[in-house]
Amino acid sequence: MSDTAILQNHLFVGAVLFALGLIGFLVRRNVIVMFLCVELMLQGVALSLVSWSRYHGDWGGQMLVIFIITVAACEAALGLALVWIMAQRGGSLDIAIWQTLRERDQAPYTDREVPEEDRSVEDWPQLTPAGVEPVHPREEDMYRSHV
Amino acid sequence: MFEAISLRTLLILIPALPLSGAILTAIFGPAILRRQSHWPTVLGLAASCICSLMLAVKWQGQLPQDGKAGQGVEEVVTLWEWVGIPQAYAPSPATGLAAIAATENHAPLDFRIDVSLRIDTLTATMLVMVTLISTLVAVYSVGYMHGDEGYWRFFSYLSLFVFSMTMLVTVSNFVMLYVFWEGVGVCSYLLIGFWYRNPAAAAAGKKAFLVNRVGDFGFALALFLMWMTYGSLSFHDTDTVAGVLGARRFAGELSFVGGGVGTAICLLLMAGACGKSAQFPLHVWLPDAMEGPTPVSALIHAATMVTAGVYMIARCMPLFVAAPQAAWVVAWIGAGTALMAGLIALTQFDLKRVLAYSTVSQLGYMFLALGMATLGGVTAGMFHLFTHAFFKALLFLGAGSVMHAMGNVIDMRRFGGLRHRLPITHATFAIGCLALAGIFPLSGFWSKDAILAAVHDQAHATGASSYRVLYGMAMGTAFLTAFYTFRAFFMTFYGPQRIPEEAGHHAHESPKVMWIPLVVLALFAALVGPMLEWTHAFAHWLQYTPSLAMMAQAAGATGAPAAFHWDVAVTSTAVAVAGVALAAFLYLGHRREVAALQYVFRFGWMNPSEAPSDWESASPHAAAVANVTRPGGHPTVTGHCPSDHPSGSHGHEHGPGLLALPARLLKAVGCGLWSLLTLPLWLGQFVSPYQMSHSKFFVDEIYDVLIVGPLRGLAHISYVLDRVLVDGLVNGVGGLPVRLGGWLRKSQRGFVSLYGLLTVVGMVLVVVVSFWWGV
Repeated sequence: MSDTAILQNHLFVGAVLFALGLIGFLVRRNVIVMFLCVELMLQGVALSLVSWSRYHGDWGGQMLVIFIITVAACEAALGLALVWIMAQRGGSLDIAIWQTLRERDQAPYTDREVPEEDRSVEDWPQLTPAGVEPVHPREEDMYRSHV
Repeated sequence: MFEAISLRTLLILIPALPLSGAILTAIFGPAILRRQSHWPTVLGLAASCICSLMLAVKWQGQLPQDGKAGQGVEEVVTLWEWVGIPQAYAPSPATGLAAIAATENHAPLDFRIDVSLRIDTLTATMLVMVTLISTLVAVYSVGYMHGDEGYWRFFSYLSLFVFSMTMLVTVSNFVMLYVFWEGVGVCSYLLIGFWYRNPAAAAAGKKAFLVNRVGDFGFALALFLMWMTYGSLSFHDTDTVAGVLGARRFAGELSFVGGGVGTAICLLLMAGACGKSAQFPLHVWLPDAMEGPTPVSALIHAATMVTAGVYMIARCMPLFVAAPQAAWVVAWIGAGTALMAGLIALTQFDLKRVLAYSTVSQLGYMFLALGMATLGGVTAGMFHLFTHAFFKALLFLGAGSVMHAMGNVIDMRRFGGLRHRLPITHATFAIGCLALAGIFPLSGFWSKDAILAAVHDQAHATGASSYRVLYGMAMGTAFLTAFYTFRAFFMTFYGPQRIPEEAGHHAHESPKVMWIPLVVLALFAALVGPMLEWTHAFAHWLQYTPSLAMMAQAAGATGAPAAFHWDVAVTSTAVAVAGVALAAFLYLGHRREVAALQYVFRFGWMNPSEAPSDWESASPHAAAVANVTRPGGHPTVTGHCPSDHPSGSHGHEHGPGLLALPARLLKAVGCGLWSLLTLPLWLGQFVSPYQMSHSKFFVDEIYDVLIVGPLRGLAHISYVLDRVLVDGLVNGVGGLPVRLGGWLRKSQRGFVSLYGLLTVVGMVLVVVVSFWWGV
C-alpha cells in the first residue's frame, strides 16, 4: 500500500470522526454527549495531524498532537467540572435549560409540541386470541389499500 | 513721611490696594470673614482714596509754577513689557503718513505694549473722583447689602471694579486701556447681574454686556486703524517710537491725522465711548442696569464706569481736534441723547429709572461739551463729569435709602410724602436734586453753566447755526432736567404720606453707615462746584494734561477757558427754576400729571365730544395709574386726588383743573399748527407724546424688531441646523454600531446548538470563500 493510499485512509477516518463529532454536537442536547462529541472532533483533527506527520516524515504534527491531548485532558477536567456544576444548578443535563442566558427580548426556543394522545378514543386495537382466525369484514377489504 | 512716598509708589498703590482688597475678600470672605467681608474692600478703597489725594497734592507741587498756558506735564512709570514683537510693521512710504516717525528711515516698527502707569492732571482728577466715590459707596453698601447671601461676593466685585477703573484711567497705552475697558465691562456685568436668580437682573447684565460689545467692537477697530496710522498705541513717547499722544506730537514735530482716516478713528473711538457712556444709540443698557443693587447703580452707572467713555474722548481730544467732523458728530450725539433721555425721564415712574435716564442725559451733556473740541468745552465736560459724579452718586444712594425703607419698592406711584419718615435722605436728596437741576449755587449749576457757555462760545466763534441749535437743545434739556428731577423728588417726598405694605416696619431712616456717606456726598455736591469754579482752579489744573495743553496753547495767552457768561447763567437758571416750578405745580399737593398731560397730549381739548371716560379706559397708562390704588390698599390716599376725579364719568369737567385756561388758550392759538405737526402721532392714538416718552421712544422695541428679532431668528435657524444636521450626523454615526449590534443581538438565543451551527456555517463560508479566491 502506497504512502498516499495510507494517508488517504487515515484522513478519511479522521474526517469521519470529525463529521460524526460535529453532527453529534449539533443534534444532541445532553451536555455530556455534546462534550464527548467535541472530544471526537478533536481526535479526528489529531488523527489527520498524525497522518500528515507520518506522510511528510516530520515529527511536528505528532508533537502538536501530544500538546493537543494534554490540553484536551485539562479541558476535559475543567469541562466536566463545569458540566457537573451546571447539572447541579439546573437539575438537568439538557443544554436547552441554559437558554435563560439569552438576550432579554428574545423568544425562547421551545421544543416542538408532541400532540397529546386523545384519551377519549378508547378504541384500542386488540390482538386476536391465538389460534382463532379473525373475522374478516368483507367490506373493509374492499377499500383497504395497505396492511 | 509725606515726602517719603514717591509718585511711583503711589501710582502703583492706587490700583493695587483695591485689587488686593478684591483678592482678600474673595479668599477669606466666604468662610472666615462672612459678615465682616467688607473690611478688606472698605479699607483698601479708603487707602486707595488717601493715596489718590496724596498723589494729586504731590502732583500739584510738581506742576510748573509760572502758570503759563499750554504746558503739558506728565510722568510715566513703566512697570514691565507685556508684549514685544520686534519689527512687526513696516509702513510703506506710499501711505505717506507724517504721523509715523519711523517712515523717515523706513525702519520697521516694533509692536510693544508696556504696562505703564501715567500721571497727569486728567488722570489725577479721575483717580480722586473714582476712589473717593467708591469708598463712600462701599461704606454705604455695608448697610445696604447687610444680610445679603452674596455679601462677600458683592464686595469682591466692587473692589475688582474699582481696580479696573483706576487702571483704566492710569494706563498709558490704548491696548491696556482696552483691557481695563473690558475689565470694567465684566465687573459691571457681574454687578448688574448680582442677583442672578432674578431673571430680569440676569437679562439686564447680559444686555449691558452685549450692548457694550457693540461699542467695543468699534473701539477695537479704532485701535487697529490707529496702529496702522500712527505706528504706535502708546499715549507717551517711548525710546524708539512717538506715542499717539506723545510729547513729540504736541511739540509739532509730528502731526495728528485728520481727513478720512482721522475721522474714522475718531468715530470708531466714539462708538466705543457711546457703548460705555450709554449714548444713543447704545444707551439702552443703562436703564435696565438698574436691576443691580442700588450701590452698584450709584457707583457704576452714575459716577465712575460711564465716565470711562468721557475720559477716553477727553484723553484723545487732539485726535478729535484734528478731525472736526467727528467732534461735530460727538456734539450732536451728545445733545440728541441729552434731549431724548430727558424726554423719557419725564414720564418714568421708577425712581431709579428716572435717575438712570438723567444719567444718560447728563452724559449727553458731557459729550456735547467734548464735541465742541475747544479747551473750554473739554474742561467744562470734565468739570461736569466731576460734579455730576458726586450728586448723581448722592441721588442714587438716596434712592437706595428710599428703596431700603420701602422694602425694595421703587415705583414712585406707590409711596409718597416720605420727608418725615426719612428726614436725612430727604435733605440730602434735595441737595442732589438742586445740584442736578442746576440751581445756583450748587455744583451742577457751575458745571452745566460751563458747558452751556462753551457751546455758546463755539456758536459765536464759528457762527454756525448748528451750534446754535445745539445750544437750544442743551437749554431745553436743562428745563427737562429740572422738571423730571423735581417731579421725582416731589412724588417721593411730598404729598400725602403713602407707604407700600412691603415696607413693613422698615419704613424709617436708614442706619448711620448709610446716611453718613449721603451727608458727605451732599457736602461735596454742594461745595465742589462753587469752590472749583469760582477760582477757575479746575480748568487751570486740567490744562496741564498733555492732551489738553495743546488746545490751551491754541486758546492763546488768556488761558481762561469759557469765560463766565452772565446771560447764559441767567437764562439757564431761569429755565431750571421754571422746570422746578412746573414740577411743583403739577406734583405738589394734588397730582395732576395724568389729567393734565392726557388733556394736553391726547388732544382732549381738540375734541370736546370725546368723553373723558373713553380716554380713561382707552389709555393704558391711565389704567396703570388707576391700578395704583389697588396694591396700595389705601383707597383714601391714591394717585388721584378725589377732587380731581370724583368719579370716572365726571372727570372731564374737573380733570384739567388749573390747566384748563392755558389749554383753552392753546386750543385757540395753536390748534391747527399743533395738529399738523402731530398729525402722524394723532392718527396713531397709541403713540401719543406721553406714551412715546413713557415707553422710551420705543427704542427697545425697534431694536427688538430690527436687530434682536433677526438675530434670534438666525440663532434659532442655527439651533435647528445644529440639532438636525450636525447632531443628526454625529448621532447617526454614533448610533450605527448600536443599531447593528441590536440587529445581531437577535441571534443571541442562549441555545448552544444554534451557536455551534452558526460557527460551522461561518467556518464553511470561510473555507469556501478562501477556496473560491484561492487565498
